[in-house]
Amino acid sequence: MLEFELSAGQQQLREGIRSIGKSVIRPMSLGWDKNKEIPEDFLRNFYSMSKSLQGAENPMADYNEGPKEKSNKPRSTNRTAAVGAEELAWADASIMLSLPGPGLGGPPVRASGTPEQKERFFSIFRDMSDQLRWGAYGLTEPGAGSDVKAIRTTCRKDGDDYILNGRKCYITNGGRAAWVVIFATVDASQGRAGQRAFVVEQGTPGFFVGKIEDKLGLRANETAELVLEDCRVPAANLLGGEEKYQSKEGFMTAMKTFDNTRPLVAAMACGIGKAAYEYARDFVKDNYMLGRPIPRYAALAERLARISRRLEAARILVWKAVWMADHGKPNAKEASMAKALAGQAAISACIDAIEICGAHGTLSEDHALLEKWFRDIKVYDIFEGTGQIQRIVISKRLMTNLRGF
Amino acid sequence: MISFEPTEDQRLIQETVGELAKTTLAPRAREFEAAREVADDVQQVIGEMGLALAAVPEAHGGQELGLLTAVLINEGLSRGDSATPFGLHGFGPYVWAAQELASSDQLTDLLTPLAAGKPGGAVAWSEVKARKDRAAFVTTASKSGDGYTLSGSKCFVGGVAAADRFIVFADVEGEATDAPWSGSGAFVVKRDAPGLKLGKRHETLGLACADFGRLELDGVDVNEADRLRGGDDFVAATLRFFARYSLTVAARQVGLCKSSFDITRDYCDIREAFGKPIGHFQAVAFTLADRHMDAESAGELCRRAAWAWDARKPFETCLAYTAQAVAHAHEAAMRCGDDAVQLHGGAGFMRDVIVEKMMRDAKQTALVGMTAEQMDQVAALVACRAKLTPELVLPTPDAQAILT
Ligand SMILES: Cc1cc2nc3c(=O)[nH]c(=O)nc-3n(C[C@H](O)[C@H](O)[C@H](O)COP(=O)(O)OP(=O)(O)OC[C@H]3O[C@@H](n4cnc5c(N)ncnc54)[C@H](O)[C@@H]3O)c2cc1C
Ligand SMILES: Cc1cc2nc3c(=O)[nH]c(=O)nc-3n(C[C@H](O)[C@H](O)[C@H](O)COP(=O)(O)OP(=O)(O)OC[C@H]3O[C@@H](n4cnc5c(N)ncnc54)[C@H](O)[C@@H]3O)c2cc1C
Repeated sequence: MLEFELSAGQQQLREGIRSIGKSVIRPMSLGWDKNKEIPEDFLRNFYSMSKSLQGAENPMADYNEGPKEKSNKPRSTNRTAAVGAEELAWADASIMLSLPGPGLGGPPVRASGTPEQKERFFSIFRDMSDQLRWGAYGLTEPGAGSDVKAIRTTCRKDGDDYILNGRKCYITNGGRAAWVVIFATVDASQGRAGQRAFVVEQGTPGFFVGKIEDKLGLRANETAELVLEDCRVPAANLLGGEEKYQSKEGFMTAMKTFDNTRPLVAAMACGIGKAAYEYARDFVKDNYMLGRPIPRYAALAERLARISRRLEAARILVWKAVWMADHGKPNAKEASMAKALAGQAAISACIDAIEICGAHGTLSEDHALLEKWFRDIKVYDIFEGTGQIQRIVISKRLMTNLRGF
Repeated sequence: MISFEPTEDQRLIQETVGELAKTTLAPRAREFEAAREVADDVQQVIGEMGLALAAVPEAHGGQELGLLTAVLINEGLSRGDSATPFGLHGFGPYVWAAQELASSDQLTDLLTPLAAGKPGGAVAWSEVKARKDRAAFVTTASKSGDGYTLSGSKCFVGGVAAADRFIVFADVEGEATDAPWSGSGAFVVKRDAPGLKLGKRHETLGLACADFGRLELDGVDVNEADRLRGGDDFVAATLRFFARYSLTVAARQVGLCKSSFDITRDYCDIREAFGKPIGHFQAVAFTLADRHMDAESAGELCRRAAWAWDARKPFETCLAYTAQAVAHAHEAAMRCGDDAVQLHGGAGFMRDVIVEKMMRDAKQTALVGMTAEQMDQVAALVACRAKLTPELVLPTPDAQAILT
C-alpha cells in the first residue's frame, strides 16, 4: 500500500532524538564548532543514551552491521536509519558524523567482507563501554575525488601481505578510526579492474595520520589525511578475499556502498535544511513588519513555503530510495536523485533562511546557529559524490550506452 | 510505515488507465485539439469505466476508492494527453465542489446525472469584473421571497458548454460583515433556468479540447434548497474543495512531467550531433536528470497529499501536503514542458512534435484551481499557524477586470 507514515518505533526514535537534540545537543553545538571538537565524554554519554533509546540496540547498529540472520521479509533498517539521521543532523551535523561505530566504513565491509572479516571488524563495536571506536572510508586522494578510477595508492603482494603506498585525504574520522577501508590499485592502467579494498587497522606499521583539516563547516567533526608508507597489511584484510577481484568487483564495492549511504547523507542534508527552515518559520511567525504579521506578505510567505516544499520533495525521494533498499530493489538512480535534490534543497534552505531573517540572519548572536548551518550544509553537495556526479549516475541510467563524461 | 507500493486494485487501475492513455489518448491528442473537444467515443469509454466518480462515495453513485486513486487516474490519463482530462465529463471542479459544499441529499441530486453517464455540471467562481468597495463577489444573490435572485457575469467556467447545471458563487444580500469574503454563498442553477445565458467560448493558450466560457446571470431565480452551505463553515468547505480539486489538477501536471520527460529522453537517446547522441552531452544529460527528479518528486508528493486526505489526517496536515504537492507540480511541469521543447531544438517548435503542446498545456494547467503562489501562501499560513482567512487562502475571483 502507498503509505507515508512512520512506524510507531520510528516516531519514537524521531521524538527521542529531537528531545535530546533540543535540550542537550543544540545548546552545545556552537561551542563544539568553535573548539573544533566534540568532547569524548559527551560522545560516551550520548552513546549510552542512544542505546537506552532503542532498548539494548544502538539505532545504527543494525544498519551498520546488517541483519543478524538472513530473512526474506523486507526490513525497515534503511528507513529507520534515514529518519534517525535526519533528526540527529537537525540537532547538529557534526555529532551525526562523529557517532562511534563503523561509519562509512561499515557498508563496504558489510557488502563485500567474508563472514570472518565481518565478525572481526564489526565485533569491536558491539561493546564500547570501555572505549569508543570508529571506522572510516578512505577512497579520496589528492589527485582523485570524483574520478574514482584515477586513484594512485598502490598495493603489491609480498608473501602473505600486501604493501600499500599512497596518500588519502579528507577522510571522515580518519585520524581516530580503529580501521579504515582503503582503496588501492595493483595496476593503475587496469582502471577499475585493478582496484582492491583493504581494511587497514590503526597501528599498522607504515600507516600514519597526516594533517587534520580546518574546514568551512562540520568543524567539530574530524577530517584527516592518511599516509601509507610501505604499509604492510595482511592478505586476510583484503576485503572479500583474493578471488573476489577477478573482475571489476573492487570498484563495484566502492560504488555499492554509495547506494546505501547516499540516501542517508541526503537525509542528513534534509535535517540541516529543516533546522534552517524551522528557524526562519519561527522568526516569521513571531515578528511583524510595518505593523503586519510577516506571513501576510505574499513574497515572504512564498519564499518560506518554497524552502519547505523543496525539502519535502527531497525527503520523499530519500524515503523512496531507502524503501527500495529495504526491499532489495536496485536503487542507484534513486539514491543519487535523493542526494542531488537534498543537497541543493538544503543549501538553498540555509541561504534563504538567512535572507528571510534579514540582517539578523548574519549579524546577531542569536542567529549564530543559522550561520553555522549555512557553513555546514555546503559539503552535502560535495561528499559522497558531488551534485554533478549524482547527475552522471542518474543520466547513465536514463540514456543507452552512456559511458560517462 | 513508509511504503511506495500501490495496492493491487490501484495497480490494476493504473494499468488500465495507462493502456488507454497509450493506445487511445496519446495517438489522438492532436485530433482532440483540432476538434476542440474530446471525441464522443472516448467520453463514453471513460464514462463507462466510472473514472470521474472514483473518489465519490458509493451511496452517491461513485466507487469510493479515495482521493489517492483519483490522483493516480488523473496522472495516468494525462500521461496520454495532458489536455484530455480537462475535456472529459466529470473531471472538472464540479464533482469536488459538490462533495464539499452540498448536503447529502443535495449531493445525490447533483451527481445522479453524472453517474448515469451525462456530462455533469460546472463551477462558476471567477468574475468578469473586480469589485472595488470590498472583497466580495460581484455576482449578487438578492433575497426574493423564499429564495434568491442571481445576477452577474462569470468567466473561465470550464466545461460550460455541456454542463447541465452550475454551481455559482455569489455575494448574498444582507449577509456580509466587515470581514473580507463574508456573505459569500454558492447556488445550484439549472441550465434551462430563465435568465441564464452562455457567453462566448474563450480562446486559450492550451488545453484546446476543453471549453472555457462565460456565463451570464440576469435575474436567475433559485430556491433556498438550491443553496449549498458547506456544513457549518463555508470558507473551510470551499478551501477543501479547491485543495482537493487542485490536487487532481496537480496530478495531471505530474502525468505531463512524466510523458514529456519520456518523449524527450527517448529523443536525446537517438538524436545525434557532433558524432554522438545529444543525451551524451553533459549539459543535456544533467537537464534530463533534473527533470526526472522534478517528475518523480512531484508525483510522490501528490500521492502523499492524497494519502493524507484518505487517511483522515488533521486538516492542516492535508492542506500543507496538498499545497506543497500542487505548487511543486505546477513548477515542475513548467520546467519539464520548457526543457522538452528546448532539447528538441527546432523540432520542438513544430506542431509535428507533441512537446510544444505540452508546454502550452503546462502553463495553462498551472492556472487552474489554485496556483503555485496561492498554494505557497496557504502552506506558509499553515506553517506559521496563522489564521486561514479567505482573502489569503482562496483564489481571488475578482481579478478579471481586464476582460471586457
Ligand atoms: C568534509 C568532507 C568529508 C569527506 N569525507 C570523506 C571520506 O570519509 N572518505 C572519502 O573517501 N572521501 C571523503 N571526502 C572527499 C569527497 O568525497 C570528495 O571531496 C568529493 O568526492 C569530490 O572530490 P574532489 O574533492 O576531488 O573534487 P573533484 O573531483 O576534483 O571535483 C571538482 C569539481 O568538478 C566537478 N566534476 C568532477 N568531475 C566532473 C564531471 N565528469 N562532470 C561534471 N563535473 C565534474 C565536481 O562536481 C566538483 O564540482 C570528504 C570531503 C569533505 C569535504
Ligand atoms: C484552464 C482553466 C480552467 C478554469 N476553470 C475554471 C472554472 O471551471 N470555474 C471558475 O470559476 N474558474 C476557472 N478558472 C479560473 C481559475 O480559477 C483562476 O484562473 C485561478 O484561480 C487564478 O486566478 P486569476 O486568473 O484570477 O489570477 P489572479 O488571482 O489575478 O492571480 C494573478 C497572479 O497573482 C498570483 N497570486 C494570486 N494570489 C496570490 C497571493 N495570495 N500571493 C501571491 N501571489 C498571488 C497568482 O498566482 C497569479 O500568478 C480556470 C482557469 C483556467 C486557466
